[in-house]
Amino acid sequence: MATNRLVTKEKIAVYAKTMFAAAREAGGQDSAVEVRNQLKQLCSLIYADMELSGALMGTEYTPQVRADLARAVFADCNPALREVMAVMAENRDIDLITGVYHAYEDNLKADMNIAVVDVVTVVPLDDELRKLIEKKAETDLGVNAVLNESIDASILGGIIMSVNGKRIDASMISQLNRARHTLKNTDGGES
Amino acid sequence: MNNKAKRAGAVSAGVLALSVCPSLAFAEEEAAGINAILPDMLEFIPMLIAFIILWIILAKFGWPMFNGMLEKRENTIREALKQSEEAKIESERVLAEYKEQLADAKAQAAKVIADARATGEAVKADIEAKAEASAHDMIEKAKATIAAEKKAAIAELQASIADTSVDVAAKLIGNDLTEGEHRAIIERYVKEAGSFNGN
Repeated sequence: MATNRLVTKEKIAVYAKTMFAAAREAGGQDSAVEVRNQLKQLCSLIYADMELSGALMGTEYTPQVRADLARAVFADCNPALREVMAVMAENRDIDLITGVYHAYEDNLKADMNIAVVDVVTVVPLDDELRKLIEKKAETDLGVNAVLNESIDASILGGIIMSVNGKRIDASMISQLNRARHTLKNTDGGES
Repeated sequence: MNNKAKRAGAVSAGVLALSVCPSLAFAEEEAAGINAILPDMLEFIPMLIAFIILWIILAKFGWPMFNGMLEKRENTIREALKQSEEAKIESERVLAEYKEQLADAKAQAAKVIADARATGEAVKADIEAKAEASAHDMIEKAKATIAAEKKAAIAELQASIADTSVDVAAKLIGNDLTEGEHRAIIERYVKEAGSFNGN
Protein backbone atom coordinates (compact mmCIF):
# COMPACT_ATOMS: atom_id res chain seq x y z
CA MET A 1 0.00 0.00 0.00
CA ALA A 2 1.43 3.28 -1.10
CA THR A 3 1.75 5.96 1.52
CA ASN A 4 0.35 9.45 1.03
CA ARG A 5 3.89 10.71 0.66
CA LEU A 6 4.61 8.38 -2.22
CA VAL A 7 1.30 9.23 -3.86
CA THR A 8 2.08 12.91 -3.55
CA LYS A 9 5.55 12.40 -4.98
CA GLU A 10 4.06 10.49 -7.91
CA LYS A 11 1.50 13.20 -8.53
CA ILE A 12 4.21 15.85 -8.57
CA ALA A 13 6.28 13.84 -11.02
CA VAL A 14 3.32 13.36 -13.33
CA TYR A 15 2.38 17.04 -13.30
CA ALA A 16 5.98 18.13 -13.93
CA LYS A 17 6.58 15.60 -16.66
CA THR A 18 3.32 16.46 -18.39
CA MET A 19 4.07 20.14 -18.23
CA PHE A 20 7.60 19.66 -19.50
CA ALA A 21 6.58 17.39 -22.36
CA ALA A 22 3.84 19.76 -23.48
CA ALA A 23 6.11 22.79 -23.33
CA ARG A 24 8.92 21.04 -25.14
CA GLU A 25 6.58 19.80 -27.86
CA ALA A 26 5.09 23.23 -28.27
CA GLY A 27 8.26 25.27 -28.55
CA GLY A 28 11.38 23.33 -27.70
CA GLN A 29 13.91 24.69 -25.24
CA ASP A 30 12.66 28.27 -25.32
CA SER A 31 9.14 27.20 -24.44
CA ALA A 32 10.38 24.82 -21.76
CA VAL A 33 12.47 27.58 -20.18
CA GLU A 34 9.58 30.01 -20.43
CA VAL A 35 7.30 27.58 -18.59
CA ARG A 36 9.94 27.12 -15.91
CA ASN A 37 10.24 30.88 -15.40
CA GLN A 38 6.51 31.36 -15.30
CA LEU A 39 6.13 28.41 -12.93
CA LYS A 40 8.62 30.02 -10.59
CA GLN A 41 6.61 33.23 -10.57
CA LEU A 42 3.42 31.30 -9.91
CA CYS A 43 5.01 29.64 -6.88
CA SER A 44 5.53 33.04 -5.32
CA LEU A 45 2.08 34.20 -6.39
CA ILE A 46 0.25 31.20 -4.98
CA TYR A 47 1.91 31.48 -1.59
CA ALA A 48 1.57 35.27 -1.50
CA ASP A 49 -2.11 35.40 -2.46
CA MET A 50 -4.02 33.36 0.07
CA GLU A 51 -7.34 34.31 -1.49
CA LEU A 52 -6.28 32.85 -4.83
CA SER A 53 -4.82 29.70 -3.35
CA GLY A 54 -7.91 29.33 -1.18
CA ALA A 55 -10.18 29.60 -4.16
CA LEU A 56 -8.16 27.11 -6.21
CA MET A 57 -8.14 24.66 -3.27
CA GLY A 58 -11.62 25.40 -1.95
CA THR A 59 -14.20 22.65 -1.61
CA GLU A 60 -17.01 25.16 -1.99
CA TYR A 61 -16.32 25.17 -5.72
CA THR A 62 -16.79 22.25 -8.03
CA PRO A 63 -13.71 20.79 -9.76
CA GLN A 64 -14.83 22.26 -13.04
CA VAL A 65 -15.23 25.71 -11.55
CA ARG A 66 -11.74 25.51 -10.03
CA ALA A 67 -10.26 24.42 -13.38
CA ASP A 68 -12.01 27.27 -15.19
CA LEU A 69 -10.81 29.69 -12.55
CA ALA A 70 -7.22 28.53 -13.02
CA ARG A 71 -7.47 28.89 -16.77
CA ALA A 72 -8.82 32.40 -16.36
CA VAL A 73 -6.21 33.49 -13.82
CA PHE A 74 -3.29 32.01 -15.76
CA ALA A 75 -4.56 32.95 -19.20
CA ASP A 76 -1.39 34.83 -20.10
CA CYS A 77 0.87 31.93 -19.22
CA ASN A 78 2.23 29.31 -21.55
CA PRO A 79 -0.62 26.93 -22.55
CA ALA A 80 1.24 23.91 -21.21
CA LEU A 81 1.53 25.55 -17.82
CA ARG A 82 -2.02 26.85 -17.90
CA GLU A 83 -3.58 23.50 -18.66
CA VAL A 84 -1.59 21.61 -16.06
CA MET A 85 -2.46 24.24 -13.47
CA ALA A 86 -6.10 23.81 -14.40
CA VAL A 87 -5.84 20.08 -13.78
CA MET A 88 -4.05 20.67 -10.48
CA ALA A 89 -6.81 23.07 -9.42
CA GLU A 90 -9.42 20.55 -10.48
CA ASN A 91 -7.76 17.95 -8.26
CA ARG A 92 -7.13 20.42 -5.45
CA ASP A 93 -3.37 19.93 -5.83
CA ILE A 94 -2.34 23.57 -6.18
CA ASP A 95 -0.38 23.32 -2.91
CA LEU A 96 2.02 20.93 -4.73
CA ILE A 97 3.23 23.69 -7.04
CA THR A 98 6.64 24.11 -5.39
CA GLY A 99 7.32 20.41 -5.73
CA VAL A 100 6.21 20.54 -9.35
CA TYR A 101 8.60 23.44 -9.96
CA HIS A 102 11.59 21.51 -8.59
CA ALA A 103 10.61 18.38 -10.49
CA TYR A 104 10.28 20.47 -13.65
CA GLU A 105 13.82 21.77 -13.19
CA ASP A 106 15.00 18.19 -12.77
CA ASN A 107 13.31 17.35 -16.08
CA LEU A 108 15.02 20.26 -17.76
CA LYS A 109 18.37 19.10 -16.54
CA ALA A 110 17.78 15.42 -17.26
CA ASP A 111 16.16 15.67 -20.67
CA MET A 112 17.66 18.84 -22.11
CA ASN A 113 20.88 19.09 -20.07
CA ILE A 114 20.16 22.68 -19.14
CA ALA A 115 19.95 24.63 -15.88
CA VAL A 116 18.14 27.91 -15.69
CA VAL A 117 20.09 30.53 -13.76
CA ASP A 118 17.98 33.31 -12.27
CA VAL A 119 19.99 36.50 -12.46
CA VAL A 120 18.96 39.71 -10.70
CA THR A 121 20.80 42.95 -11.46
CA VAL A 122 20.19 46.70 -11.36
CA VAL A 123 21.06 47.25 -15.00
CA PRO A 124 20.38 44.97 -17.98
CA LEU A 125 23.13 42.51 -18.78
CA ASP A 126 25.12 42.89 -21.98
CA ASP A 127 26.27 39.93 -24.03
CA GLU A 128 29.67 39.90 -22.47
CA LEU A 129 28.24 39.56 -18.98
CA ARG A 130 25.78 36.92 -20.16
CA LYS A 131 28.60 34.84 -21.57
CA LEU A 132 30.61 35.28 -18.40
CA ILE A 133 27.73 34.18 -16.18
CA GLU A 134 26.78 31.27 -18.44
CA LYS A 135 30.36 30.11 -18.52
CA LYS A 136 30.62 30.25 -14.77
CA ALA A 137 27.36 28.33 -14.31
CA GLU A 138 28.32 25.72 -16.87
CA THR A 139 31.71 25.29 -15.22
CA ASP A 140 30.18 24.91 -11.78
CA LEU A 141 27.16 22.78 -12.73
CA GLY A 142 28.40 20.79 -15.71
CA VAL A 143 25.30 21.55 -17.78
CA ASN A 144 24.25 24.17 -20.27
CA ALA A 145 23.15 27.37 -18.57
CA VAL A 146 20.20 29.46 -19.59
CA LEU A 147 19.78 32.81 -17.93
CA ASN A 148 16.50 34.13 -16.57
CA GLU A 149 17.26 37.82 -16.20
CA SER A 150 15.38 40.31 -14.07
CA ILE A 151 15.98 43.89 -12.98
CA ASP A 152 15.59 44.94 -9.36
CA ALA A 153 16.81 48.39 -8.34
CA SER A 154 16.46 47.55 -4.68
CA ILE A 155 19.65 45.47 -4.73
CA LEU A 156 21.51 48.76 -5.51
CA GLY A 157 24.22 47.05 -7.49
CA GLY A 158 26.05 43.79 -8.02
CA ILE A 159 24.29 40.57 -8.89
CA ILE A 160 22.23 37.77 -7.39
CA MET A 161 22.42 34.39 -9.09
CA SER A 162 20.41 31.33 -8.14
CA VAL A 163 20.01 27.92 -9.71
CA ASN A 164 18.57 24.65 -8.48
CA GLY A 165 18.05 26.08 -5.01
CA LYS A 166 21.62 27.37 -4.78
CA ARG A 167 22.11 31.09 -4.49
CA ILE A 168 25.05 33.45 -4.85
CA ASP A 169 24.23 36.88 -3.45
CA ALA A 170 26.82 39.40 -4.58
CA SER A 171 24.48 42.37 -4.40
CA MET A 172 25.44 45.68 -2.87
CA ILE A 173 22.40 45.74 -0.65
CA SER A 174 23.55 42.49 0.93
CA GLN A 175 27.05 43.80 1.39
CA LEU A 176 25.75 46.99 2.92
CA ASN A 177 23.49 45.01 5.22
CA ARG A 178 26.42 42.89 6.30
CA ALA A 179 28.40 46.07 6.91
CA ARG A 180 25.47 47.50 8.85
CA HIS A 181 25.27 44.34 10.92
CA THR A 182 29.01 44.41 11.57
CA LEU A 183 28.95 48.05 12.57
CA LYS A 184 26.03 47.51 14.91
CA ASN A 185 27.46 44.47 16.57
CA THR A 186 31.08 45.50 16.83
CA ASP A 187 32.15 46.52 20.28
CA GLY A 188 33.02 50.17 20.22
CA GLY A 189 36.15 49.57 22.24
CA GLU A 190 34.42 50.02 25.56
CA SER A 191 34.93 47.25 28.03
CA MET B 1 -3.53 48.02 159.03
CA ASN B 2 -0.29 46.82 157.61
CA ASN B 3 1.76 47.97 160.65
CA LYS B 4 -0.63 46.23 162.98
CA ALA B 5 -0.36 43.08 161.03
CA LYS B 6 3.46 43.26 161.00
CA ARG B 7 3.50 43.86 164.79
CA ALA B 8 1.20 40.96 165.45
CA GLY B 9 3.39 38.74 163.32
CA ALA B 10 6.52 39.71 165.34
CA VAL B 11 4.82 38.96 168.62
CA SER B 12 3.67 35.64 167.39
CA ALA B 13 7.21 34.78 166.24
CA GLY B 14 8.63 35.73 169.69
CA VAL B 15 6.08 33.59 171.54
CA LEU B 16 6.87 30.71 169.23
CA ALA B 17 10.61 31.08 169.80
CA LEU B 18 10.11 31.16 173.60
CA SER B 19 7.89 28.14 173.53
CA VAL B 20 10.44 26.16 171.45
CA CYS B 21 13.49 27.23 173.41
CA PRO B 22 12.30 28.00 177.03
CA SER B 23 15.77 27.39 178.55
CA LEU B 24 17.54 30.04 176.46
CA ALA B 25 16.53 32.93 178.71
CA PHE B 26 17.35 30.97 181.75
CA ALA B 27 20.93 30.15 180.54
CA GLU B 28 21.70 33.80 179.80
CA GLU B 29 21.08 34.60 183.42
CA GLU B 30 23.58 32.02 184.77
CA ALA B 31 26.44 32.29 182.20
CA ALA B 32 29.85 32.76 183.76
CA GLY B 33 33.54 31.45 183.38
CA ILE B 34 34.38 28.52 181.08
CA ASN B 35 30.69 27.81 180.83
CA ALA B 36 30.44 30.90 178.86
CA ILE B 37 32.16 29.20 175.84
CA LEU B 38 30.77 25.70 176.32
CA PRO B 39 27.42 24.86 174.80
CA ASP B 40 24.63 24.38 177.14
CA MET B 41 23.29 20.93 176.56
CA LEU B 42 19.81 22.15 177.32
CA GLU B 43 20.15 24.60 174.45
CA PHE B 44 22.50 22.60 172.32
CA ILE B 45 20.49 19.43 171.94
CA PRO B 46 17.23 21.13 170.94
CA MET B 47 19.19 23.28 168.58
CA LEU B 48 20.94 20.21 167.21
CA ILE B 49 17.67 18.44 166.88
CA ALA B 50 16.17 21.46 165.23
CA PHE B 51 19.21 21.70 162.99
CA ILE B 52 19.02 18.03 162.08
CA ILE B 53 15.32 18.32 161.44
CA LEU B 54 15.97 21.38 159.35
CA TRP B 55 18.82 19.64 157.57
CA ILE B 56 16.65 16.59 156.88
CA ILE B 57 13.84 18.76 155.64
CA LEU B 58 16.19 20.69 153.47
CA ALA B 59 17.97 17.54 152.34
CA LYS B 60 14.67 15.90 151.67
CA PHE B 61 12.84 18.71 149.99
CA GLY B 62 15.03 21.72 149.46
CA TRP B 63 18.17 20.19 148.04
CA PRO B 64 16.45 18.12 145.31
CA MET B 65 14.46 21.13 144.34
CA PHE B 66 17.60 23.25 144.36
CA ASN B 67 19.54 20.55 142.60
CA GLY B 68 16.73 20.21 140.10
CA MET B 69 16.77 23.90 139.55
CA LEU B 70 20.55 23.82 139.07
CA GLU B 71 20.31 20.90 136.69
CA LYS B 72 17.49 22.56 134.85
CA ARG B 73 19.47 25.72 134.68
CA GLU B 74 22.54 23.80 133.60
CA ASN B 75 20.56 22.01 130.94
CA THR B 76 19.05 25.24 129.84
CA ILE B 77 22.44 26.85 129.59
CA ARG B 78 23.92 23.75 127.90
CA GLU B 79 21.04 23.66 125.47
CA ALA B 80 21.40 27.35 124.86
CA LEU B 81 25.12 26.92 124.30
CA LYS B 82 24.47 23.97 122.04
CA GLN B 83 21.85 25.86 120.11
CA SER B 84 24.17 28.81 120.01
CA GLU B 85 26.96 26.58 118.70
CA GLU B 86 24.65 25.05 116.15
CA ALA B 87 23.39 28.43 115.18
CA LYS B 88 26.96 29.58 114.86
CA ILE B 89 27.84 26.57 112.73
CA GLU B 90 24.70 27.01 110.69
CA SER B 91 25.38 30.68 110.28
CA GLU B 92 28.93 29.93 109.24
CA ARG B 93 27.67 27.30 106.80
CA VAL B 94 25.06 29.69 105.47
CA LEU B 95 27.65 32.41 105.27
CA ALA B 96 30.00 30.11 103.40
CA GLU B 97 27.14 29.07 101.17
CA TYR B 98 26.22 32.68 100.58
CA LYS B 99 29.81 33.49 99.87
CA GLU B 100 29.99 30.59 97.45
CA GLN B 101 26.73 31.62 95.81
CA LEU B 102 27.93 35.18 95.69
CA ALA B 103 31.16 34.04 94.07
CA ASP B 104 29.18 31.92 91.64
CA ALA B 105 26.86 34.81 90.95
CA LYS B 106 29.81 37.10 90.40
CA ALA B 107 31.44 34.57 88.12
CA GLN B 108 28.18 34.02 86.29
CA ALA B 109 27.62 37.75 86.00
CA ALA B 110 31.12 38.16 84.67
CA LYS B 111 30.51 35.36 82.22
CA VAL B 112 27.20 36.87 81.14
CA ILE B 113 28.85 40.22 80.68
CA ALA B 114 31.69 38.63 78.74
CA ASP B 115 29.22 36.68 76.62
CA ALA B 116 27.13 39.74 76.05
CA ARG B 117 30.22 41.71 75.12
CA ALA B 118 31.34 38.96 72.75
CA THR B 119 27.87 38.68 71.27
CA GLY B 120 27.72 42.42 70.90
CA GLU B 121 31.06 42.44 69.18
CA ALA B 122 29.96 39.64 66.88
CA VAL B 123 26.67 41.38 66.09
CA LYS B 124 28.52 44.61 65.51
CA ALA B 125 30.99 42.88 63.21
CA ASP B 126 28.16 41.10 61.42
CA ILE B 127 26.21 44.31 60.94
CA GLU B 128 29.31 46.07 59.71
CA ALA B 129 30.09 43.22 57.34
CA LYS B 130 26.53 43.18 56.04
CA ALA B 131 26.50 46.92 55.65
CA GLU B 132 29.79 46.77 53.83
CA ALA B 133 28.60 43.94 51.61
CA SER B 134 25.35 45.76 50.93
CA ALA B 135 27.19 48.92 50.06
CA HIS B 136 29.58 46.98 47.86
CA ASP B 137 26.68 45.24 46.20
CA MET B 138 24.89 48.51 45.61
CA ILE B 139 28.02 50.01 44.14
CA GLU B 140 28.53 47.01 41.90
CA LYS B 141 24.91 47.11 40.77
CA ALA B 142 25.16 50.82 40.12
CA LYS B 143 28.34 50.24 38.15
CA ALA B 144 26.71 47.45 36.21
CA THR B 145 23.66 49.59 35.51
CA ILE B 146 25.82 52.47 34.39
CA ALA B 147 27.91 50.16 32.23
CA ALA B 148 24.79 48.60 30.71
CA GLU B 149 23.24 51.97 30.04
CA LYS B 150 26.49 53.22 28.61
CA LYS B 151 26.79 50.15 26.44
CA ALA B 152 23.18 50.49 25.30
CA ALA B 153 23.72 54.16 24.50
CA ILE B 154 26.87 53.34 22.57
CA ALA B 155 25.13 50.51 20.76
CA GLU B 156 22.22 52.78 19.92
CA LEU B 157 24.56 55.47 18.70
CA GLN B 158 26.56 52.88 16.80
CA ALA B 159 23.41 51.51 15.19
CA SER B 160 22.27 54.97 14.30
CA ILE B 161 25.64 55.78 12.75
CA ALA B 162 25.63 52.46 10.94
CA ASP B 163 22.15 53.02 9.56
CA THR B 164 22.99 56.53 8.50
CA SER B 165 26.27 55.47 6.92
CA VAL B 166 24.70 52.61 5.04
CA ASP B 167 21.79 54.73 3.89
CA VAL B 168 24.18 57.39 2.66
CA ALA B 169 26.28 54.75 0.93
CA ALA B 170 23.18 53.23 -0.65
CA LYS B 171 22.07 56.61 -1.96
CA LEU B 172 25.51 57.35 -3.27
CA ILE B 173 25.69 53.99 -5.01
CA GLY B 174 22.18 54.29 -6.42
CA ASN B 175 22.65 57.80 -7.67
CA ASP B 176 26.25 58.05 -8.66
CA LEU B 177 27.03 54.78 -10.44
CA THR B 178 26.60 54.66 -14.19
CA GLU B 179 25.46 51.58 -16.08
CA GLY B 180 29.02 50.94 -17.15
CA GLU B 181 30.20 51.08 -13.58
CA HIS B 182 27.39 48.75 -12.53
CA ARG B 183 28.38 46.29 -15.23
CA ALA B 184 32.01 46.50 -14.21
CA ILE B 185 31.00 45.75 -10.65
CA ILE B 186 28.84 42.83 -11.80
CA GLU B 187 31.70 41.43 -13.83
CA ARG B 188 34.06 41.68 -10.89
CA TYR B 189 31.56 40.12 -8.51
CA VAL B 190 30.85 37.24 -10.90
CA LYS B 191 34.55 36.54 -11.22
CA GLU B 192 35.08 36.75 -7.46
CA ALA B 193 31.90 34.93 -6.51
CA GLY B 194 32.01 31.47 -5.03
CA SER B 195 30.92 28.34 -6.85
CA PHE B 196 27.35 27.11 -7.22
CA ASN B 197 28.66 23.87 -5.85
CA GLY B 198 29.26 25.60 -2.55
CA ASN B 199 33.07 25.94 -2.81
